[in-house]
Amino acid sequence: MSGAKRMRKVTITLAGVAMAALAGCSNSGPDEAGGGPLAVLAQTATQAVTQAGGARRAEGPATPPPSPEQAAAEALRVNPGPLIQAGFEGLGRNQIMAMTGQNGAMRTYMTPAEEALILRDGMLVGTRGLGRDLSVAEPGTDRLIRAGQSGSGTRIMRYLSGDGLERPLQFACTTAPGPNPGIIVESCEGHGTTFQNNYLVQGGQIPVSRQWIGPGLGYVTIQTLRP
Amino acid sequence: MRRSRLTRQLMATTLPLALIAGAGIAVADPMLGRTMSSYGLPGGIDTPTAETLPDGSLGATVSLSDYARRGNIFFQALPGLTTVLRYGRVDGIEDFRREGFISDRSLDLRYQIVDEDGWRPAVAVGLQDFLGTGVYSGEYIVATRNVTPTVRASVGLGWGTLAGRPRVIDVTDQGGTPNVDQWFSGGAKPFASVSWQVNDRLNLTAEYSNDIYVARYSDGNEYQQGDEPSSKLNLGASYRIGRNYEAGIYTIGGKTIGAQFTIALNPRDAAFPSGLERAPAPVRPRVSPTQDPEGWSGSWSQDPTAQPAIQKALGDAMAKEGQRLESMALTATRAEVRLRNQRYINQAEAVGRTARLMTRALPPSVETFVITSTTDGMATSSVTMRRSDVERLENTEAGQIAAASTLSDAAQTAGLVPTPDLYPRFRWSVRPYLDIGIFSAEDGLTHEVGAEARASYEIVPGLIATGALRQRAFGDIGQRGPGIPDTAANCEEFGRCGRGEYFSPEEYEARPGLETTPEGVPRVRSDTRMYTGNSSPVIPEATLAWYAKPSEAVYTRVTVGLLERAYGGVSAEALWKPATSPLGFGAEINRVRKRDFDQLFDFRDYEVTTGHVSAYYEFQQGFTAQLDVGQYLAGDVGATVTLAREFANGWRVGAYATKTDLSAEEFGEGSFDKGVTLSIPLGWATGQASRDRVSTNIRSLSRDGGSRVNVNGRLYDRVRDSHTVDLYEGWGRFWR
Repeated sequence: MSGAKRMRKVTITLAGVAMAALAGCSNSGPDEAGGGPLAVLAQTATQAVTQAGGARRAEGPATPPPSPEQAAAEALRVNPGPLIQAGFEGLGRNQIMAMTGQNGAMRTYMTPAEEALILRDGMLVGTRGLGRDLSVAEPGTDRLIRAGQSGSGTRIMRYLSGDGLERPLQFACTTAPGPNPGIIVESCEGHGTTFQNNYLVQGGQIPVSRQWIGPGLGYVTIQTLRP
Repeated sequence: MRRSRLTRQLMATTLPLALIAGAGIAVADPMLGRTMSSYGLPGGIDTPTAETLPDGSLGATVSLSDYARRGNIFFQALPGLTTVLRYGRVDGIEDFRREGFISDRSLDLRYQIVDEDGWRPAVAVGLQDFLGTGVYSGEYIVATRNVTPTVRASVGLGWGTLAGRPRVIDVTDQGGTPNVDQWFSGGAKPFASVSWQVNDRLNLTAEYSNDIYVARYSDGNEYQQGDEPSSKLNLGASYRIGRNYEAGIYTIGGKTIGAQFTIALNPRDAAFPSGLERAPAPVRPRVSPTQDPEGWSGSWSQDPTAQPAIQKALGDAMAKEGQRLESMALTATRAEVRLRNQRYINQAEAVGRTARLMTRALPPSVETFVITSTTDGMATSSVTMRRSDVERLENTEAGQIAAASTLSDAAQTAGLVPTPDLYPRFRWSVRPYLDIGIFSAEDGLTHEVGAEARASYEIVPGLIATGALRQRAFGDIGQRGPGIPDTAANCEEFGRCGRGEYFSPEEYEARPGLETTPEGVPRVRSDTRMYTGNSSPVIPEATLAWYAKPSEAVYTRVTVGLLERAYGGVSAEALWKPATSPLGFGAEINRVRKRDFDQLFDFRDYEVTTGHVSAYYEFQQGFTAQLDVGQYLAGDVGATVTLAREFANGWRVGAYATKTDLSAEEFGEGSFDKGVTLSIPLGWATGQASRDRVSTNIRSLSRDGGSRVNVNGRLYDRVRDSHTVDLYEGWGRFWR
């Protein structure tokens, strides 16, 4: 049984080597490789294979992955700046993100792999580096949510579509207090879909929320670890 | 005028969610095809319908039966216009080869005049195999309507093949030109089809077709393709696999069984529409003047160490984001950076990232940002913006920063300091290569695999030596001479002649006279296979190129050396293309000599001057046109028209036609040169940011008329990335 397992690992590594040979070698970076489709596809495949192999290797019995709480505690210890914990439901990932930039009320938080969430005082206004990003959100309900009021407004979400243009989607939204105290629920409808954003509002700030990124990525749960 | 054009480009209309989600959400409108016909169009089995494909769809349908093997490449060129290029092996017809089948190329057009609306059905008109008279020539008008949400019916009127009245094919015709006088003539008959979408994947189709699968020739020959259909009823089932594939089986007249497979791509359907590249470094707003009085006063600019330190920091940060800072000019209030974008398919993304990095690197007194794009040492355009706007508009709708910035021809700035240690620059690579020949009807799928070493040495910006060396490893693209012309002398001398017979490489090399066709046309491309199949190393390219920009909107190129596989010499080009104009003019002149077949440093006797004047225009919505007029490689004089459609994500699909003063007889089969070009950016498929593309040129045939030298680095495609139409089309990625 263990022999079969080892065999498998060896084949994976060999596949990686063969792919690397296909990808060729050069003294220039990936940007100007210009090796044509074969080389690029081989490179992509190599990355996928080595990543898969690496993941498999990292899955050793000795180190179980840290729980979200442990990860949060570790990040708070290492990083002195503002931190959030973001659970990407569509990607099945929970990550600590550190603030890398602040422009007025707008903050950019990034993962170590430089994927970004852009928040304006806790409201999601964009994502970067996730493949199906939200370019920019213009929530017309912002003021209602912060004030904890019921009402309605228009929310425009802009996305890069597959053909490379930035396209707006417009949603009609209503806000109302949720079942739990302090929670404001924003319900939006448009383009044949509906979504609900939940915000925990404390003194105009939003320390905890669950917000819809878009049709490609679904919801993200954002928890402020250090404001 | 510019602003309104810009606004229109950026004011993208709202789309159905499905297009952004990419999910298979069923969209009721417009009437999109559910299955492909064996002719590679939305339809029944053999009969057409009035359905269309999603705009921009590109794909292929391969269908196999006893009647034919058809490889159809389809493209939805406009929302209503479907085009198909078909490579068929039509069984049952004898030609000079006596193989029991013929190879046949054909082109179809279909236009949906109206879409379904209320009680009114969608109506389309189509031309099948309309260039010259061919085996499949016919025309039709068809109406399609949804009967229930899952059942759709089509009724139409067909002429020619579709009416079971195949046109008589003129055996002396070289094909390739439309026979307008035959269209919609010879009597019409009805056809019909019904399709039932059983579930998301399975579709069942029944049709009534009058096609009798007969080909008639003007020399009196008449051939039955396959078996005569025993009835007019055809049945089919097709199954959709994922979003891009469809497999189907069908029966023609109950006896003949066929199968087909379709792959369809849509440029709007990217796996990762926003790309997987890392997030950009965010804007760093300036601190208040009280906190940094020296930085705000501009007195730092007197310090000679300031600019080198800033340039180093900015250059390093830009390199991390895939750009090279070529040079920089810095004063207390204005900074110009010249960048070379090496990573992003849209220049706007490079400009946007650089603007943000500038806010992080430059002292607060610098308010004016000038970001100049360069390519091969030529400054192609400048985007000028206020730093306060970059700070204010970060991560807002991309149109806002477009409106707050200006595009111009590259600024003439004094005091540009080149970034040290960038030049000279030597790059090399060793990689495998794979050449595939797909569309040669006579040879089927051919391939060659080997290794290619490539090196380039950029001595100063714009002066580049490039060389490549190839070694073939294996493959079945062998060396051979051109076809043996069907003349009595040839038949006697070589014991074989006519189409399907080729000179051996030895025969061809031993007789220099063969390098001119019997019609007197020098063989400039028809012996291209003599350059293949070398088992020793070959030099596909070895050139020295010099790019320059002598005045504001004029670009020049001079290339000397082994320009391509078959020609070496000198090529000079000039292009006038203002950054803010959709119009450009160019001129190119080449003095070239034909290279020897061993592809090393020897030349053959043929030498020619070839050159063109060109006009380029970029229309709205990604349509571009190009007209070239001049002298081609064989010394023939004529013009090439090229039309292309481009998407902001970099997809490009084009078609061209060249007509020169060679007669149809001198040119040979096809009458004039035409072809289709495709180019798909790799990043569209992988999500990784890259300027690499997969490109192909599907030419109808390798002919001598209307051929040009394939010199690398033509100016137009190099400079237009950062010019008004292309730049603003991709502007949505400014904040990406």
